[in-house]
Amino acid sequence: MIDLTQPQRQSPIAIVLLGAGAIRSLGIAQVALAVFFIARGAADGRLMAVVVLAVALLVAVSVLSWWRYTFQLVDRELVVTRGVLRVDRLTVATDRIQSIAIEQELLHRLTDVVKVVVTTAGTAQAEFTIDAVSLPVAEELRRRATALGAAASGETAGGSIEPTERVVFQHTPRRLTIAALTMSPWAGLALIPPLWFGLQQALEPVADDLSEATPDVDVDRLGWWLVLIIVIAAPLFVVILNLGRVYLADWQQALRTDSTTLRRTSGLLSRFSTTSSVARVQVMTSRQNWLQRRAGIRDVYLSNAGDGDLRLIACRDEEFAATAVAAGLGVTDQLPLDRRVHPAEIWLRTRNTAIVALAVGAAATLLVGWWAMLVLVVVPVVWWSTRRHVRHHRWSLAAELATSSRVISSSTEQALVRKANLVRVTQTIFERRRGLAQVEVATAAGTIEVGMIPLDEAQAVRDVILHGVETDRRAWM
Amino acid sequence: MADPFSNEPLSVDELPRLRDAAFVSVDPRYMWGRLAGLVFFAAIAVAVGVLVVRRSEAVAVPVLIAGGVVLLIIATAVLSVLEARRVAYQVREHDLSLRRGVIRHVIETIPYSRVQHVNVGRGLIERWLGLATLEISSAGPDISVPGLAVADADRIKQVIAQRAGIDDESEGPNAVAMSDPASMPWPPPPSSPA
Repeated sequence: MIDLTQPQRQSPIAIVLLGAGAIRSLGIAQVALAVFFIARGAADGRLMAVVVLAVALLVAVSVLSWWRYTFQLVDRELVVTRGVLRVDRLTVATDRIQSIAIEQELLHRLTDVVKVVVTTAGTAQAEFTIDAVSLPVAEELRRRATALGAAASGETAGGSIEPTERVVFQHTPRRLTIAALTMSPWAGLALIPPLWFGLQQALEPVADDLSEATPDVDVDRLGWWLVLIIVIAAPLFVVILNLGRVYLADWQQALRTDSTTLRRTSGLLSRFSTTSSVARVQVMTSRQNWLQRRAGIRDVYLSNAGDGDLRLIACRDEEFAATAVAAGLGVTDQLPLDRRVHPAEIWLRTRNTAIVALAVGAAATLLVGWWAMLVLVVVPVVWWSTRRHVRHHRWSLAAELATSSRVISSSTEQALVRKANLVRVTQTIFERRRGLAQVEVATAAGTIEVGMIPLDEAQAVRDVILHGVETDRRAWM
Repeated sequence: MADPFSNEPLSVDELPRLRDAAFVSVDPRYMWGRLAGLVFFAAIAVAVGVLVVRRSEAVAVPVLIAGGVVLLIIATAVLSVLEARRVAYQVREHDLSLRRGVIRHVIETIPYSRVQHVNVGRGLIERWLGLATLEISSAGPDISVPGLAVADADRIKQVIAQRAGIDDESEGPNAVAMSDPASMPWPPPPSSPA
C-alpha cells in the first residue's frame, strides 16, 4: 500500500537525471568547451583537481537535491518540497491541476521508472516535474490527485474519489500503419526542389561524361526519368518518415476514462501518459483529409486550457463518438448541424482573390511578361473551393456550439456553451452592407467562429451563449 | 444520481438582449489621447523626413514619400478620431461588453463568471489626461476598455472583481468604497453587503 500522505522521495535514479539537468542548465556548449580544454590539459594536475572537485560538487548537489525533494498529498493539496540552499515548498490545490502526464523516456524504461509532469491552468509550462519514481507510485499519485481534484470541484456527484478506469479504445499496429499512410503527403512535395537541384549538381559531370562517351544516349531523356524518380521518391520518403514517427510516438495509443478524467497513453521507446479532467476539455476538433475519409478514420483533438491537450490519431467513427461522450460532449454525427452560412462568402473571397491576383499579376508582368497573368488561375480555384465550403458548411447551437466544414479535407469543432469565456460579434464593411455578421466564441483553449450569418442570428447566438454561461453552474474548467 | 442541471428549451425572445442604446461612450478626452500619441509619432516621422530631404540630392522621391507619409498620418488621425468616438462599453448585471472598431465593427462580451483577473492600467498620456484603461483577463482572450475616467475605471473594476469572486482588500489608492450603492452603475446583487 502506497501512503501518499507521507513525504515520498524519488527513485535514486533521479540523482543521475538531476545531474544531467544541472549540466543542461549550465549549457551544453559551455560544458563541451570545458571538456575540450580539460582534454587538452589533462596532464595538468591542478586542472584535474578542479575537474574532480567540480564532478564531486555536481554529485553532491544532485544527491542533496534528490534527498530534499519530497512530495505528498496533504488534504486536497499536492505539496512538493525542494531545494538545497533555499528550500521551496510548493503547494498546488488538486482541483487546480490541469493535467498529470506520466512519461517514460528511454533511460526511464531501462531503469523501470517514470517521470511525472504536473501542469496547472495558470502556467503554460509544467508546474513541476518529478523526475523518477516507480510506476505504481506515479499511478497512485495521478489517481489520488485527480480524484481528489474532481471531488473538490464537485465533478463526482456521489463523492466517490476512486472511480474505475475503462479503456475507450486502443489502436492496433495495423491502425497506426493506416494512420501513417493516410497522413498528408504534401510535405514531401517540399522536398522535390532541393532534391532536384542537389541531384542536378551531383549528376551534371556524370551526364557530361556520358554524352561524350556514348553520343547515342539521349541525356535529356534521362533527365526526365530523374524528375519522375524524384517525384515518386519524395512522398515515399515522407511516408517512411511518417511511419517511423507514428510508431515511435503513438504506439499502442489508447484513451482511458473514468467518470471524471481522460487519459491518453502511447509510445514505443518512450511511453507517454497524459491525463486531463473531463471538465477541463474546452473544444473538441476533428480533422479528416481525403485519404483518411476513404480509410474511414479521422484525427481528434481535445483542447484544454494550458498544456495537456489530448491528440488522438486515426479514430474510427465509433471511437470518435465514444471520445465525445467521454469528454462530456454530444456525438457530432447526432448534432443537428442544420444551419448554413450566407453564399455572399463566395463573392467576397473570389473578389478579394481576383483583386490581389490582378495586382500581383500586373506587377509581375513588368518583370516576367504576360506569363505572370497565369496567376489569375487561382481565382476560379478559390471560387470553386469557397463554393464547396459554403455548400458543406453547417453549424448549430444547442447545449454546444458545433460547426462542420469540408472542401477537400473536412473538419468539425464543438464546445459546450458553458465553456465560453468571451463572445464577439464582428461586422466588416462587406457584412454590414448585407446585414451579415460573424460570431466568435472564445473558450480557455480555442475559438469557434461562425461567419457570414445574419446579424440578428449572430446576436441571438451571443445572447443564448451568455445566458447559458450564467445559468449553467456546472464546472467549466 | 440524477444530474441536478436542467436545460429546458427557451425562446431566444425571452433572453435579455444586449441593446445598442445602452452602450456608454468612453471619456471624450480619450480621443485627444489617441491624437496626442499620433502627433508624437508624426513629429518623429517629420523629423526623419526633413533629415532625409536635406541630405538627399534628388528631391522628387523624398518629397513623394513625405507626401505619402503625411497622407497616411492624416488618414490615421481621421480613423483614430472615428475609432475613439465609437469605443463604448456596457456594464450589465452578469457581463461587460465593449464596442469598438470603425472599419470592422466589433462587440465583445465577457461574463463576470469567467473573469480571472481585472486591472486598471494608466500610461503616460492617460495619466496626463486623467484617464485609465480597464484590463479584464479571462482564461481565454482579454478585453481592455480604454478611455475611462480613473474613478469610473476603479469603480467598475471593483464591481467586476466582486461579482467574479476575485475581490480582495488590497485595492489601490484610487479604490472607491463600496459603501455607497448609488455610485455603482446598477443595484448590487442580493448576496452582496449593501
